[in-house]
Amino acid sequence: VISLSDIIIGLVIGSGYALLALGWTILLGAARVVNFAHGQLYMLGAFVTWWAMSETGIPYWLGLIFTLVLVGIFGAIMQAILLRMTMTHDLVRIMIVTLGFGYIITALATILFGGNAQQVRSPLQQTTVNILGTPLTYQDVLVVAAAVILFAATSIVMRRSRVGRVVRAVAEDPKLAELGGMRPSWVYIGVFAFAAALAALAGALLSTTGPVFTSVGSDQVIFTFVIVVLGGVGRVWGNLLVALAVGVFTSLFGTLVSPAYTTAVLFLLVLIVFAIRPQGIQRQ
Amino acid sequence: VTNEIIGVRTPRRALTRARVLRWVVAAVILVVAYLLPQILGGSLNVYNTVITIAIFGAMVYGVDIMLSYLGEVSLGHTAMWAIGGYVTAVLGINLKLNPWLTLIGAVLASLLLAAILGLAVYRSRAFIWTLSTYAAAVVLSEVAANWQFVGGSDGLVGLPILTLDFGPISIPLQTVQQMWPVAFVVLLIVLLIVSRFRHSKLAQSSLMAHMNPDLAATMGINVSRVRFQLLLFSSIPPALGGWVYAYYRSYVSTDLFGTYFLILMLTAAALVGRRVLFGPLIGVALIISQQNLASLGTDGDQLLLGAVLVIVLVLWPAGLIGIYHTLKRLIGRAARKRGAIPEPSSSESAADSVPAEPNPKS
Repeated sequence: VISLSDIIIGLVIGSGYALLALGWTILLGAARVVNFAHGQLYMLGAFVTWWAMSETGIPYWLGLIFTLVLVGIFGAIMQAILLRMTMTHDLVRIMIVTLGFGYIITALATILFGGNAQQVRSPLQQTTVNILGTPLTYQDVLVVAAAVILFAATSIVMRRSRVGRVVRAVAEDPKLAELGGMRPSWVYIGVFAFAAALAALAGALLSTTGPVFTSVGSDQVIFTFVIVVLGGVGRVWGNLLVALAVGVFTSLFGTLVSPAYTTAVLFLLVLIVFAIRPQGIQRQ
Repeated sequence: VTNEIIGVRTPRRALTRARVLRWVVAAVILVVAYLLPQILGGSLNVYNTVITIAIFGAMVYGVDIMLSYLGEVSLGHTAMWAIGGYVTAVLGINLKLNPWLTLIGAVLASLLLAAILGLAVYRSRAFIWTLSTYAAAVVLSEVAANWQFVGGSDGLVGLPILTLDFGPISIPLQTVQQMWPVAFVVLLIVLLIVSRFRHSKLAQSSLMAHMNPDLAATMGINVSRVRFQLLLFSSIPPALGGWVYAYYRSYVSTDLFGTYFLILMLTAAALVGRRVLFGPLIGVALIISQQNLASLGTDGDQLLLGAVLVIVLVLWPAGLIGIYHTLKRLIGRAARKRGAIPEPSSSESAADSVPAEPNPKS
């Protein structure tokens, strides 16, 4: 029995996935960088926010800004280390190095923040609002709003602004873009910082519902991967649609069958899609 | 064979003394390697360290083969290693099968997993391929953690002592001193298989498919099939490792699927250099020796392992062997300056540098 509230909850979950996937898909599209540390940046977002709030007592929204800046800088440093590989499109090394980054981040986070699970306390988590008969917290509403606003903003920036044109030019042909006076290395660093900050934002927004461990991250990479490959690399709206669909699937499968096997079944579906269409479902 | 029939002495036969010498050296190395734990003092820690090195060393060759010969980063080999261990445990505990049968079961299960994965990613390449293997490993790990039949998140405990039956003789292997020969032999078997593989048609075809897939296809190589075959072949070493590891620990749990083994495999495969027979083993030996004999604590070791992986790939993409080649070149240059050695031909120096990624994918 499919209920409307399951679908609404699914859309909230999907908005979270969409936030998670947005930076990754832009990064992959613009710099051809497959970032396996994405899930760890998500975790870092949750822990940095928690740490900033509990150490200094700053409010949630200030913690969010602090986290975005800090993890964004962290992402820029990661890309600076990866720069030569990115320039030569050495995907094998990029993948292994980002896996290494993820491993380092987990270890560092455990050393710095301790081995206990932590939960970010958001004031918006306390109050609920009724939407079509489904009780949602204001935090849920914030997640959906953040997803819609960020997707719209990214889409507009990528299509209409000068920054977007530069990023697209570098994605298309870095050497030619460089001849045209653009700086591909700065584009790569900027895009990575953006992707890292968005992953951190997702972590800081979604870790308010329950405690997270420093060991999380692999699931986030897989959900992101599924969304990006099905929705299309660098395709903002395609990613949003697939993310929402995956969210609704997660919610329905969790209620109707079993939440434990959601990832497994989802991934099985994707493998079947790959076997039929190895480039994903987007038109080339 | 024909030469022997018609009575012609082959050049190989002519070098009998050199060949004998090589066999003697190999035998001495083998004996020393076997006696290594005793040479190093024979303490419990030393035995555990060498056994772990042998088991993990065997396991690592799966990832190494994929990386060295296809240039693909496989993150699914943790699942093959884990499934080798899990099948051993299920067959040994639930069905009380003897270790020979659990060994066969472990290898078959790993091959089956590789076959299913291989068919699913048959046409995928590069990052989609890698991410698919990663997702397969994570998903299997979640299934193992939730499936009560394989013990759920607690894993399976109570695997009987490894008892090997050779006809009427039955040898129980309980202590680490008794366990060492088994781990040693498994490692030896993996090394033999890999060294045979290095000169095989499959290795050659894979390398061609890696370096230039279009050219390989033009030359009649079925690239997708070669990739599939290589994935199947590479699933054997981790299964063998998983089999011994299950008996060594006498239990299995979802940690076998964990990131630790994933990073260990990649670091060991990348540390020394690609296509170096003993490279992965040396890599594992360095890592495990540090962790067992000079540990910085769990998180410290993790930090170090990740840092080593990143530093090696960023600074010396060809691995430690690359440093060796650089040193050799520098020494050669210094010698040439003194006029001792003539300038090497360009082909020679080209052979020195291992191409990191010869065919960048768009």
